[in-house]
Amino acid sequence: MRKKLQLGTLLLLAVGLVLLPKLSPFFIVFVATEILILGLFATSFNLMFGYCGLLSFGHGAFFGTGAYVAGLLLQHLQWDFFWVLAVAPLAAALVATLIGCLCVRLNEVYFSMLTLAFGMMIFAIAHQWRSVTGGSDGLAGFPLTRVGLGLDLVLANPFHFYYLTLVIVGLSLAAIYTLTISPFGLILRAMRENSERVAFAGIPANRYRLYGFILSGLFSGLAGALFAAFSRVAVPEMAHWTQSAEPILMTILGGSQFFFGPLAGAAVFLGLKTLITSYTSEWMIYLGIILLGMVLFLPKGIFGLFERWLGGRT
Amino acid sequence: MLRKLLVMTIVSVMAIGVSLNARAEGTVKIGAIYLLSGAFSTYGQFAKNGIELAADEINASGGILGKKIEFLLEDSTGKANVAIQAARKLVYQDNVDLLMGLDSSGVAKGLVPVVPELKKPFIITHAATPDVTGSLCNKYVFRIALNISQNTKAAALIAKELGVKKWTTIGPDYDFGHQSWEFFGGYLKQLDPEVVLSADPSFPKFKAEDFTPIINKVIADKPEGVFISLWGGDLINFIRQANNLGFFKQNFKILMSLGAATEVLTALGDQMPEGIWVGTRYWFAANDTPTNNNFVAAYKKRFGDYPSYNSQGAYAAVYAYKAAIEKAKSFEPDKIIAALENLTVDTPSGELLIRAEDHQAVVNGNWGITKADANYPIRILDPIRIFPGKDITPTPAESGCNMK
Amino acid sequence: MTAFVAALLNSFDIGILLFIIASGLTIVFGVLGILNFAHGALYMTGAYLLLTLMRTLEIPFWMGLLLAPLGVAMLAVAIERFLLRRIYHRHPSFGLLLTFALLLIIDDTVRLIWGSGYHIVEPPPALRGAMSLFGVTYPLYSFFTIAMGILIGVAVWLLFHRTRIGKTVRAAALDPEMAQAVGINVPLVLTLVFGFGAWLAALGGALAAPMRTLGPAMGDTIIIESFIVVVIGGLGSFPGALLGALILGGIHGFGGRWLAEWNIVLPYIGMALVLLWRPEGLMGRR
Repeated sequence: MRKKLQLGTLLLLAVGLVLLPKLSPFFIVFVATEILILGLFATSFNLMFGYCGLLSFGHGAFFGTGAYVAGLLLQHLQWDFFWVLAVAPLAAALVATLIGCLCVRLNEVYFSMLTLAFGMMIFAIAHQWRSVTGGSDGLAGFPLTRVGLGLDLVLANPFHFYYLTLVIVGLSLAAIYTLTISPFGLILRAMRENSERVAFAGIPANRYRLYGFILSGLFSGLAGALFAAFSRVAVPEMAHWTQSAEPILMTILGGSQFFFGPLAGAAVFLGLKTLITSYTSEWMIYLGIILLGMVLFLPKGIFGLFERWLGGRT
Repeated sequence: MLRKLLVMTIVSVMAIGVSLNARAEGTVKIGAIYLLSGAFSTYGQFAKNGIELAADEINASGGILGKKIEFLLEDSTGKANVAIQAARKLVYQDNVDLLMGLDSSGVAKGLVPVVPELKKPFIITHAATPDVTGSLCNKYVFRIALNISQNTKAAALIAKELGVKKWTTIGPDYDFGHQSWEFFGGYLKQLDPEVVLSADPSFPKFKAEDFTPIINKVIADKPEGVFISLWGGDLINFIRQANNLGFFKQNFKILMSLGAATEVLTALGDQMPEGIWVGTRYWFAANDTPTNNNFVAAYKKRFGDYPSYNSQGAYAAVYAYKAAIEKAKSFEPDKIIAALENLTVDTPSGELLIRAEDHQAVVNGNWGITKADANYPIRILDPIRIFPGKDITPTPAESGCNMK
Repeated sequence: MTAFVAALLNSFDIGILLFIIASGLTIVFGVLGILNFAHGALYMTGAYLLLTLMRTLEIPFWMGLLLAPLGVAMLAVAIERFLLRRIYHRHPSFGLLLTFALLLIIDDTVRLIWGSGYHIVEPPPALRGAMSLFGVTYPLYSFFTIAMGILIGVAVWLLFHRTRIGKTVRAAALDPEMAQAVGINVPLVLTLVFGFGAWLAALGGALAAPMRTLGPAMGDTIIIESFIVVVIGGLGSFPGALLGALILGGIHGFGGRWLAEWNIVLPYIGMALVLLWRPEGLMGRR
């Protein structure tokens, strides 16, 4: 019965998202696109946090790499967007492999600090390497190419972009979900609970963590590439630790122990920000107060509220 | 069910928010994007002051073609992607007619290519990167403020007169600092080929709190001239620390391209050394015209301080829009744009021509030597050197703008 | 030679200030297990309180230096008592979220109260001017800061290792249950320690005020620098904070002079090297 409820909810949500552009004011399409992209970023971050128990403070490195590679490919080579979306995440995965090799050996707060350090190194490269990355201004004004694959979509059209994002994010979330319920995902979860035991069972814990890290980096890079096309820019701040803090915030808000928690957190966070800035330019204090309230009164995040009905804990 | 509830709740609340923002009939809406939070939020506040003053004055005398001005502020937070989303919100959700803004050159470079999608005119009042009316120029974007090429050309003219040959720079380590040095060096070399530009210029980290290592380094390098493009909080920190280390008692010439900014002079008070060449984008005491005198008096009365260049820029932009709309007798974006081209606007900064070829205003440069004066709580400029806009503004071809 | 001496003095100057601030962060982490994101905001509040005391109430610098940190400490005690206490038993990530929310609130409140403009605070007349040392002219106030830092460092160390209060705090940190069992009022200890950590941050802010411009969000860079110091030195280690701070001070003093383009990345490289070689920090306990 619960399964039917979950499936039903999912279907309803999917229908709602597909119909969104027809039903909502024009600007909401932009907000929804941003929520989907950052929701993907947060969900892939949560692969490490919720499932492995490792809080990465440097995921902006992968997000930023995805954004810059996408920007560079569009600016210099004008590839079809489909190929950009194929290659940029791979670049991010490569960076994740290099960083991951060094980070997964560490635990807890040390892992967090080392990922922060590496994230900031990527930021520094983006900021200082003026000739390639455009320095502090980043990349801007790159063309939005055709999508390719014979699809007649114009990326500059917000509706087309929204639907493209919806499909890509949907497929990515499905892929990540499949991972989490696979034996691989179970091992990750086991490591969160007791990594010594996992090692005793003969499983090379660090190697699995690394795989998780690389996959997490891959999807974060995909989100970054989408974001670059959406925002029309790739800037160093996308690799800064303050950017890395956003998926963390969204995940905790939504509930790290639920698969859709990060996405819900992204919706709430961005929705709140959009709402607050409509009324006042003093958004920081109001956002802070609301976050404070959520921390004090919503211990398991938004999803925790509905835990009973939805089940589906990781 | 509950996730759906959540999403629907958010969507409906935002929809309500949208309907609340629907335009009241009979107003002309201006959307302004500035730095409203963070370390440089003072500039956003200045811009807000300028817009408020202009809007109130214009509304008091009947508005623009009978419609009152209403303005909305958005925070760019210094990030291009945030500014772009804010611009989309202003145009699509809040239905603004006109756009203005931008403190950060980096944000400008990101936002300017996107403005044509929004199909509204955008006047830039602060961001100084030449690219905005140069390589990135497009028909929707205008700039009413002094840009890097203009300011550094004036600086180079002064440098030539000072006669010294070995120059170095201290600038923030991001594109603004690097571009300021590139343009200054380029212009100076053109004016005086014997000039030697340092191979090891100093670019301390932007928003660094401590400039002591750089100050010591420059003193040790013994240049003949130092061109300083630090600004805002950085410049204040730098000057105080430099005072302590005897920087201003060395015998090299100093040019500070944004040293006459009122927020810097106000914060420093008599810590600001005298006898230094400083520049600014607008100097409140440079023009003895009714427009300027009225502006300065009204600003001082309302906000308690002499107007900063950012306030003047925002004020001038609102008046520029007014002039263009009245000339075009229409609120349609294309007609406003056509009216802005080759328009001469009377601003506190003087009579500015907004060029049709690159949409850059031919603004006068303001430099002067700092001096104490009992009549003012801050250092003032005496003598003041005004560089006519036509002497310091590159031709549209030189600026790299190719709008057609 | 003078360049070396100048860089050395500069490193000490920056380092000692960072030590005072970061030691507050590390003590709070060591005893409460919370990494306080709002630590930089407390530093900023200390500086702004000093500004108001000196400018509006015309209290002399020395009094202000005493009172401003106390004011911030009281604010911190309130924060701990009413907010922080509720999330001790929860997942550490909530501590991050809570202190991040506090950071937003404190940053914006300061801006709303004092405005977004820039302000400067003058050092007291006794400490103005400069002194010459080995051919290098250096501001007197910087020597004062270095002296204060050493004084505070020694005083705090003595407090923790030679007094009863110190023993109580260390006991509460090591084993809260046992400490409670022997009659130590652990919740009170936690409150006081958080207040003390904030006091150190605010003292750093008040000391820094005559040397740095006061402006919105001035605490934002401080928080990341404090993290780096604390990681390099060892989370929870007080002498580690000194070592880490001096190292970071050295990176700024020497790197800022000779490797300016690497300015952004050097501290992070330092942090990464320490984490890869000795994750618990140079002076942390294994």
